[in-house]
Amino acid sequence: MDTFKTLAAILLTSVLVNNYVLRQFLGICPFLGVSKKLNQAVGMGVAVTFVMLLATAVTWPIQMFVLNNLGLEYMQTIVFILIIAALVQFVEIFLKKFIPSLHKSLGVYLPLITTNCAVLGVTINNIKDSYGFGESMVSSLGCGLGFMLAMVLFSGVRSRIDESDIPEHFKGLPATLIAASFVSLAFYGFEGVVDNLFA
Amino acid sequence: MKKTNYWKILITGLLKENPVFVLILGTCPTLAMSNSVTSAVGMGLAATAVLICSNAVISLFRKFIPDAVRIPCYIVVIAGFVTLVEMFIHAYLPELYKSLGVYLALITVNCIILGRAEMFAGKNTVGKSVLDGIGMGIGFTLALLAMATVREVIGAGTFAGIEIPFMIDHKIEFFVKAPGGLMVYGLLIALVNVITKGKAIKKKEFNCAGCPSAGVCNGGCKANEVKEGE
Amino acid sequence: MKYFKSVIALTVICALVAVLLALTNSITAPIIEENASAAANEALLVVYPDGGDFTQLDISTYELPATVTEAYSASNGGYVIKLLTSGYGANMVLMCGIDGNGTVTGATCLSSGETLGYEKTYGDSLKGKTVTDIDGAETISGATMTTAGYKNAVKDALNATIILGGGSVDIRSEEEILNDNLSEALPAAEGKFVSWFMVEELENVSAVYEAENGTGYVLVSGEEFIAVDKSGAVLSTVSDDVKATMEANAQLIINSSIEEIDISGYADMPSQVKKVYKTASGNYVFELGANGFGINGDHYYNPSGKQIELKASATKDGKIIAVLTTAQYETDGIGSVCADASFYTQFNGKTEADYSDIEGISGATITTNGYKTAVSKVFEAVKMLEGVA
Repeated sequence: MDTFKTLAAILLTSVLVNNYVLRQFLGICPFLGVSKKLNQAVGMGVAVTFVMLLATAVTWPIQMFVLNNLGLEYMQTIVFILIIAALVQFVEIFLKKFIPSLHKSLGVYLPLITTNCAVLGVTINNIKDSYGFGESMVSSLGCGLGFMLAMVLFSGVRSRIDESDIPEHFKGLPATLIAASFVSLAFYGFEGVVDNLFA
Repeated sequence: MKKTNYWKILITGLLKENPVFVLILGTCPTLAMSNSVTSAVGMGLAATAVLICSNAVISLFRKFIPDAVRIPCYIVVIAGFVTLVEMFIHAYLPELYKSLGVYLALITVNCIILGRAEMFAGKNTVGKSVLDGIGMGIGFTLALLAMATVREVIGAGTFAGIEIPFMIDHKIEFFVKAPGGLMVYGLLIALVNVITKGKAIKKKEFNCAGCPSAGVCNGGCKANEVKEGE
Repeated sequence: MKYFKSVIALTVICALVAVLLALTNSITAPIIEENASAAANEALLVVYPDGGDFTQLDISTYELPATVTEAYSASNGGYVIKLLTSGYGANMVLMCGIDGNGTVTGATCLSSGETLGYEKTYGDSLKGKTVTDIDGAETISGATMTTAGYKNAVKDALNATIILGGGSVDIRSEEEILNDNLSEALPAAEGKFVSWFMVEELENVSAVYEAENGTGYVLVSGEEFIAVDKSGAVLSTVSDDVKATMEANAQLIINSSIEEIDISGYADMPSQVKKVYKTASGNYVFELGANGFGINGDHYYNPSGKQIELKASATKDGKIIAVLTTAQYETDGIGSVCADASFYTQFNGKTEADYSDIEGISGATITTNGYKTAVSKVFEAVKMLEGVA
């Protein structure tokens, strides 16, 4: 029961309270770049969640059983980024060969993920927070879902902005950023919710 | 003629192609680290150091690195320098290390650095690449400093930790929080638009076209957009 | 060939970077480690400014109070103890410094979910306390839970330092001590006892505990715990005199049987008396209801509207044998003290003549008066039942 509680708290915290995009600014580039349309937002969200889970499943054991044992903790960044890059490549090749339909819809987002700081961020944070394997996976799932939630919500906001009459100099990015600011503000409403839920 | 050329490379990054306000690169650290002047300058200088070193090394080896594996090579070089800088900061500036947190390691995926490696260092001489690194790095640092100044003065009533009379009693905490970062960033870009009369970011939307690392994500963006961006 | 070249290039770069990093790491790692231990030391110096250098102790080899999470020994003989305890709402993480003489040098709260903020400053008031006078430290009214939790944790820390220093401390709670004593007297009960309500007048016995599995009884006589088996034979080694007395007591306990008697015929029976039982030996047992704060108090403060329920046994000549609170709905922490043994055992052995010197509960006059009145009705009822005018 306690484990379940901890995991649920980690999941909800990473989706709602410590939302990677809106609170920690990890993965802002794709958030601003690929949130124009709902289907794009969902596609990117799914791809990121998938890669986050995969990357955590690989990096966590490597950190615990290889790097820590060999005293090579300082190689963390290099090893993790290479693993993520390799995984992304591997997933792309795999999808292309075996599930072409999925590759068609998700494939375009995959290469962008290598340089998505949210993925590297979540793998490093899991180690920093000294999570176990299960907790790490749940936290990655939460971060991915949180990313997707932010993207999906924001794609709706964005379609409104594109239709409205904005002062000349605010057109494009400035208006988008200010709208993102309000969405982020809305997420502050979740502060304390999880603590009180599981207190 | 040659001299002006070098000078031009250096100051391009400061103003005309400022990575933060014009090229819209490195948004993550810009937003996350601009809530205090100290961490903004720390992040700016750390990224500058990595940028200069990685530019230098990549341009030095540019003939040796095969085209097919250039991106992994760039990433390894960049991650290596990031770790190097991280170690030194951890050892000699533990306070700064604490305030930068995970964002220090995330310099690895800062698109400014990979972008400059791909766009500039991979094609130019060592000297030029170092100058480009210095220019871009200082441009990044100054932009961070500008944002951090606005946010810290209004949001915390201090500048680099020094209390400012009047402001300290009338701080608006919103500005040091996440939403304030997004808002100040949006307003500053709009301001740059006004000053340059929209020339600098001529109708530039934030998409792959504006992203120099678009070349990195082979096929991630539509091919024509990549060309446009370059 | 092209492929081959790519692999070589990547490998060479990886190798170069790794070598560079390993070199740097060998320079920076010792500095980082030194910084970290200096920072950890500095945090400990907050509660123990004269502590010097600290080394963490392995506490798994000691039996320390459960609240202790970490312990550090200072170079000058003192300790810093980290504790996890509960406050009003959530857990508090405390750190407490104790010098070589067992005096608190400082205490601080590292994190808490408390609302009032007293935990931030309360530690200062515990400075200079030792294990003997920590109980006397004042708590803050209005934040009793927080500050009492704090104080008890610091007491645990003081006890822990005694244990770490090679001494021994009884860290059991009162109930645990009682249970351990009972188990020692009667191991066959396997540690499970229930209190037996004394309906018989027993010589030199203050309390009786019955084994839940029916293997016997433990009689408390002064400081001694004397076990008897279910047939009434004394199991503990005692002098012959005591043995005879206790065997007589045991027979009374085993043979006691009670039967409810009808009181509907007594029109003048006090309203506090709910039920009456008579034992084979002629004693009476009363079930009483006392009008405490729940009935006579301000209903804004205590809306329960319920009586205190209690049991009392008395001999036929009007001497109280024992009293026990069975249920109470009084104000928590004030009137609820009427359920403490220290209060109701005062009535044991009282007669109508010496009844007045019962000590009340401070701050709970209404509860105490209602309780005393209810118990005093026993004398009236016994006379009525015995037909004495």
